[in-house]
Amino acid sequence: MPEELATTQRAIRRRDFLAAAAGASLAACARSHARRETKVSILRQTGYTQTLYGELRRALAEHRLQVRGKRVLLKPNLVEFDPLTPINTHPLVVAAALDAFREMGAQVAIAEGPGHRRNTLDMAEAAGYFATIPQFEKLFTDLNLAEVAEVRLERPHSRLKSVYLARPALACDLLVSMPKMKTHHWAGATLSMKNLFGTVSGGVYGWPKNILHWAGISECVADLYHTLPRHFAIVDGIVGMEGNGPIQGTPRAANVVVAGRDLAAVDAVCCQIMSIDPRKIDYLRLAIGDVPALVESVRQIGEALAAVRAKFRLLPAWQGIRLA
Amino acid sequence: MISLLESQNADGGWPYQQGGPSWTEPTAYALLALMTQEPASPPVGRGLAWLRALQRPDGGWPPQRAIRQSAWMTAVAALLGPVALGAARYRAAIAWIVRQSGADTNLPSRLRQLLLGAAEDDPGWPWFPDTSAWVTPTALSMLALRQAETRTDSQKIKSRLEAGTSYLLRHACREGGWNHGAARTFDIDAPAYPETTGVALLALSGRQSPEIAAACRWAREALPVCQSSEAESWLRLGLSAHGQLAEGVPAPPRPPRNVQNAALAMLASAALAGRSALLPEQKHA
Repeated sequence: MPEELATTQRAIRRRDFLAAAAGASLAACARSHARRETKVSILRQTGYTQTLYGELRRALAEHRLQVRGKRVLLKPNLVEFDPLTPINTHPLVVAAALDAFREMGAQVAIAEGPGHRRNTLDMAEAAGYFATIPQFEKLFTDLNLAEVAEVRLERPHSRLKSVYLARPALACDLLVSMPKMKTHHWAGATLSMKNLFGTVSGGVYGWPKNILHWAGISECVADLYHTLPRHFAIVDGIVGMEGNGPIQGTPRAANVVVAGRDLAAVDAVCCQIMSIDPRKIDYLRLAIGDVPALVESVRQIGEALAAVRAKFRLLPAWQGIRLA
Repeated sequence: MISLLESQNADGGWPYQQGGPSWTEPTAYALLALMTQEPASPPVGRGLAWLRALQRPDGGWPPQRAIRQSAWMTAVAALLGPVALGAARYRAAIAWIVRQSGADTNLPSRLRQLLLGAAEDDPGWPWFPDTSAWVTPTALSMLALRQAETRTDSQKIKSRLEAGTSYLLRHACREGGWNHGAARTFDIDAPAYPETTGVALLALSGRQSPEIAAACRWAREALPVCQSSEAESWLRLGLSAHGQLAEGVPAPPRPPRNVQNAALAMLASAALAGRSALLPEQKHA
C-alpha cells in the first residue's frame, strides 16, 4: 500500500466521516436547487498512443484543479483478465492520468476493487498495468482488501442505511473515477458514477457485491455519488463496449476521452456520445433530479458532441433509452 | 514468496495484505495451512486465540473486528474443526451455516419469497446474509458441512448438502466449470472462472455427474494457462479431489500476491501430498 495512503488511514477519525457525510448532504442540496456551469472536456483520441499523455495533460489544465501536495486516487475499472477485450480501463489512460496529476504536484496512487474476480493484482498484470505503469504494484491498493470504514448514508435512495467503504477512497483529497465507456445490462450504461461500486468492500460483502443489487443498483450509484463528493472523472471511451456490457459486450470505438469535475455531468455527456438519453438513466435521475438542467449546465470543452457521437448498440430490453 | 509466519500481526490474526489489519478470512486460511505442518506451534495458538475471540454470539464470524455482521468467512473458520475452535464454538458455527441461504434478486424469485416465504427449492449460500446465493460461498459452506457430517448424524446438514450440490449443478456454465454464479445473462452463456471452478469441484468431490465431468475437462485445460496463484491453487485442489490432476502439470506455480493466496498455495501442496485440510476423508490429525 502506498505510504501516504497508509498514513492517512491511520489518521482518519469518525468525525472526519461525519464531516464528509455532512458535506455530501449539503452538496446534494445545492445540486438540487441551482446548477452552476460545469466544464466537461471531450478529447478526440484515436487509438491508445503516446499522444494521450500530452492531450490529457492539456485537458486537465483547463479544469484548474488545485491538487499540489494533495492525495489523488486514480480508480480505474478492472473487470476481467482478458487484455484483448474492451472490458477494463486501458492502462495507457491510467498512465497518462498518473503523469498529468504528478505534473500538477499531486501525490498519486491507484486503487480498484473489482466486482467479480478476487485476484486483482493478477488481473491488473494480465490487463497490461504492470507493463505500462512503472512500479505499479507499489502504487496500487486493492480496495476490496483494504481497511474499511462504515459510512452512514444521509437520506439514501437505496435500502441501505450505511455501507462499508474502503478507507483509501474516503481518505484521499480527490477520487478520480476512470471507467470504461460501456453499456450495462442492468443499468443501461456504466460510466464514472457506477464505477464507484469499486469503492465498496469486497472483503465485507463478497464477489459480487450483491448487497448493492438487492438495495437497488441505480439507487446505490446515486448514494455513492453523494457519499464520495471530492471526485473527478476521466472516462476511457477510446474503445468502449456496446451490446451486452459490462462484461460480454463487443468493442465499439468512440475515439474519445471525457473528463470533468462532476461525475454526473461527465456521465450525461458520455450517454449522449453513446446515443443514450441521459434522462432515461435512473441513477442520473435519482442523483440529480433535474437531468435536463444538468445537461444545460454543461460547458463543453474540446470536440463538439455532435462530432463524436457514436451509436452504441443496445440490448433489446434497453431500446427505450436510445436518444431520439 | 510471502511468508505466513512473517505476515502474522501482533494481535495474532493475519491481514489480506502484509502490514494491514487482521481479517477473519486470511486468518482462517493461514491457520488451516500452518496446521497441515505444525498444528501446535505458538503462531497457530495465537491465531486461534484471535479467531475464537472474534466469534459473534450468533455463532458466525464477521469479516473483521469492526464489522457487526457474520458472513461467509464463517465457513472457512469452521473448517478448522472442533479441536481447534472448541466444541461449543464449532457447533455454533455449523448451526449458523445451516441457517444461511441465498435467494435470487429476479422478480419471480422475489414474488415467490414474498408469497411463500421461500426463495428456491435448493438454495445455495450467500456471501453476505439476506442476499443471493453464489458459487464460492456455497462451495465453502458445503466443505464445512461435509466435515461436520462426519462428526454428527444431522438430517439438516445432509439436506443442506444435497441442496448445495443441486445449486452448484444448476449453476454450471454451458462450456463446463463455474463462474461466480451467473451462467447465463439475457440468454447469453457466460464463461467459467478457474478459481470458482476449482472450489466447486472440491466441494463436489466424491460425486459424479455430466456437469462435474465437463468441469474437470474445463479445469484441466484452464490449469496450464491460469493467470493467478489463487486460481491455480483452487484448480489443483479441485482436480486432485477428483483424481484428475495430471502429474507434472503445471510448471512452477505463480507467486502468491497476498497472504490468503500464500495460504491457499500451501493448502494445495499439502493436499497433493495427502494432507488435505479441506476434505473430511483426508483431514489431518
